[in-house]
Amino acid sequence: MTGPMGTEHIRNFSIVAHIDHGKSTLADRLLERTGAVSDRDKKDQMLDDMDLERERGITIKSSAVTMTYHRHGRDYMLNLIDTPGHVDFHYEVSRSLAACEGALLVVDAAQGIEAQTVANAYLAVDTHNEIIPVVNKIDLPAAAPDRVAEEIEHVFGIEREACIFLSAKTGQGVEALLDAVVDRLPPPADRLDEPTAALIFDSWADPYRGVVCMVRAFAGELVVGRKIRLMSSGRTYTVTELGRLAPMPTPIERLGCGEVGYVIANIRRLADVTVGETITDDARPAARPLPGYKRPVQMVFSDFYPGQNTDYPRLRAAFEKLTLNDASFSFSPHNSAALGFGFRCGFLGLLHMEIIQERLERESDVEVVQTAPTVSYEVLTSDGQVTRIDSPSALPDRSRLAEIREPIVRLEVLTTTETIGGVMKLAEQRRCRLLRTDTLGPTRVLLEYKAPLAEIVYDFYDQLKGISHGYATMDYDFVAFEPGDLVKIDILVNKEPVDALSMIVHRSVAEVRGRQMLMRLRDAIPRHQFEVPLQAAIGGKIIARETIKAFRKDVTAKLYGGDVTRKMKVLKRQREGKKRMKAIGRVQIPQEAFMSVLNRGDKS
Amino acid sequence: MTPQPAVAMYVHVPFCRGKCRYCAFVSEPVTPARAETVVAALIHEACQRAQPDTVETLYIGGGCPTVLPETDLLRFVTVLAESHPHVTEFTVEAHPAQVSGPLLRRLREAGVNRLSIGAQSFVPGELQRLGRAHTTADVAHSVYAACRAGFGNLSLDLIAAVPGSTLGDFEHSLRCAIDLAPRHVSVYALSYEAGTELTRQRDAGLIEPVDEETDRAMTFAAIEILAAAGFEQYEISNFARPGFECRHNLTYWANRPWLGIGPSAASWDGVRRTTNVADVEEYLRRIAADQEPWNEVVSPDPIEIACETAVLNLRRRGGIDLAEYQRATGFDAMELFAEAIAEHVQAGFLACRDGRVVLTTAAVPVADRILCDFAAL
Repeated sequence: MTGPMGTEHIRNFSIVAHIDHGKSTLADRLLERTGAVSDRDKKDQMLDDMDLERERGITIKSSAVTMTYHRHGRDYMLNLIDTPGHVDFHYEVSRSLAACEGALLVVDAAQGIEAQTVANAYLAVDTHNEIIPVVNKIDLPAAAPDRVAEEIEHVFGIEREACIFLSAKTGQGVEALLDAVVDRLPPPADRLDEPTAALIFDSWADPYRGVVCMVRAFAGELVVGRKIRLMSSGRTYTVTELGRLAPMPTPIERLGCGEVGYVIANIRRLADVTVGETITDDARPAARPLPGYKRPVQMVFSDFYPGQNTDYPRLRAAFEKLTLNDASFSFSPHNSAALGFGFRCGFLGLLHMEIIQERLERESDVEVVQTAPTVSYEVLTSDGQVTRIDSPSALPDRSRLAEIREPIVRLEVLTTTETIGGVMKLAEQRRCRLLRTDTLGPTRVLLEYKAPLAEIVYDFYDQLKGISHGYATMDYDFVAFEPGDLVKIDILVNKEPVDALSMIVHRSVAEVRGRQMLMRLRDAIPRHQFEVPLQAAIGGKIIARETIKAFRKDVTAKLYGGDVTRKMKVLKRQREGKKRMKAIGRVQIPQEAFMSVLNRGDKS
Repeated sequence: MTPQPAVAMYVHVPFCRGKCRYCAFVSEPVTPARAETVVAALIHEACQRAQPDTVETLYIGGGCPTVLPETDLLRFVTVLAESHPHVTEFTVEAHPAQVSGPLLRRLREAGVNRLSIGAQSFVPGELQRLGRAHTTADVAHSVYAACRAGFGNLSLDLIAAVPGSTLGDFEHSLRCAIDLAPRHVSVYALSYEAGTELTRQRDAGLIEPVDEETDRAMTFAAIEILAAAGFEQYEISNFARPGFECRHNLTYWANRPWLGIGPSAASWDGVRRTTNVADVEEYLRRIAADQEPWNEVVSPDPIEIACETAVLNLRRRGGIDLAEYQRATGFDAMELFAEAIAEHVQAGFLACRDGRVVLTTAAVPVADRILCDFAAL
């Protein structure tokens, strides 16, 4: 597919949608209609290539597919750039959107707009994308396309007449959408003559090829054999291969201005490439990088300890493997007095953490103990210095502490009018400040809050789902670090502080949180031969206490010759059970105790 | 390692008049013809495997040996006694409702010198709940009859923590037992074994097990009340007046070699632990065909033997005798179990004194929590 010169025939676009609103199905349908994928080699949900993504219905790595569509007597090159659906990957989403001129805003005809739709749509608008609203699933019995079109007009100010109504499942309306992509989305600016500037919007490690970068050329072109430079790191490489994903990799000699494709250039480590980087020509570099580059910011942290100490090297190897195709995840050795050697891991958000956990379980068989997730804080010490800490135990001594600042997010919650009371109550409990409410038709309301991130990582989503009978959706976006009346709660098991269980919370909820933690520990820590006091303390002051009663009776009545084999087995099992636990002083704490703290609320 | 000769022989008689509700031992109702066949098989196995030069104790249990027709039982006892000249302790388990003065005299004459009487409880309602087919009066009568028959070494079994039982009930049983002046008392806290009637009733919610605190209090009550009456606790469930400890059972806790005869009986020769088939029919078939009666063979490695020995030794209040342990296993227990010993000594559950590692009294009700740390390295 070597198109004519210029960029007039190119359309770069993405699909933004709430998780279940049919993005992947629509993408498949577009590939099918443009002949990029024949029925025979069609896999369901072509764009999601990891098992995990398929299972969770979430795309965690972006990708792009090039299609050809014939209209007005000529071939158009349509580049569909996939975006991760969740805000944890906000930055990646923003880079994917930055690579496009247009976005298809897909909304489910039965469910209407969701919080995630709103967040992603705003992002698309912020990145100067032309929006084509798409009302999907019009074949559903519960579909109310007109109502949804009205919502779109109300929320985004896009006239309802602009909506394309379709069913990705049946294919109805897909032609009209492709026509609209060609007719309504602008082509990329033609800046072929300028120095090369290409945006990396995705990258992954291929075991045989090294790092593969997905790029969008904004100016100039990329040519095989030329030397390129990554503008923020300054590193240089020689392009060994260029290509398009159509969707199978199709090598090309040049990647022209406005086009989208992959670059392979002997880059060994994924960490050497960051999404948002600008590639330029080493011999004739661009004057400045493309705007919007940020290093991914890790906001959620958690410690992982091997279930058995001997598994430490294996856990390290497993983490190293994970970073090969996820550079936004980080880990560093961490030594806890209570738990021994482990790793402190940083994630973009809660969902990102869950994905890493699952991949760890799936891809390695190392048993891990994981601590409660915390957010990152800014700490102002009495000498005027500001530092970032990612663990309550890193908090400086109280005498040196002037101020703790916590991350604040803008939170959007979309719920029904019947459940708004419960949602607002929950939000209030979680120190969220209402910024705005927006009624979307007679039954649905959009609530916008300013919220502490720490309160959201704290089982907020599960509670929200419960209160709204599964209806409410939410999304959030980091705003700033702000000072708060925050205190550190220490948890003492049998009078010994367990650093892995300490937490930073707002003073107003300290007692409640401390008590909740102790109750969960009480249920999770098995009884011992002695009473185990559990305490929550701020500084030296105990704010809550619980007791695990002692084992009172556990002895085999009869042990004679004939019982030896069986009894030894029972005792060995009992011992194994004890060994699986981590010892805090004389107290054995099983992994479940940590998990119960981690999972704070009810498991969904 | 070479097998060692047994110093004790146990014989399992797989008969009962009826099944007690808590019992998981192998037994079946008896008929005269069946009894004769089984006794013949037991004699056959006992003679085949006999180690007359080394066996010092004999123990006939079950089941319920006294349910056998008198002639069969006496024939059997006589054969065993005659073929084991060095035996100093010969115990037969006796059911309180199944012993008469003449039978007891003949047993005594045949060489039996110790009786273990299954008293279980002196609270009539408890006997009923346990499904025991005897009365508290039967127990007293059997004890008097045994004394008249010349048995100076009597043991009574008691069961603690019977559903519905109170601490007062249990103390009553203890005092009644003491009043009968036995030389030895075994106190077993009721355990709910898989497949028993009592377990079924518990799972169906028909009976409420005794709560843990009461169960624990009963353990301490037994230790205190029996001690006051001159009975020393020498093993978790066993109490004796000085010199009347059950030598046969001490063999198990010393992990010395023993022979087990009869269906489901286990044997240990210092190298292998064999367990005979539990099914009586299959047992008879194998004996008749001159085949090995066991269907399970375990050969623990030296470390496993060391662990087993430690666990069994610790059941004794005399605990692990470090010198004896070293001789028997080749290991230094203090070194082998350094971590567990340190932890439990610190917690007050183990004590090291006079070359021994022993459970403290506080550890008795929760002994499994401590012993499990000796069950493997």
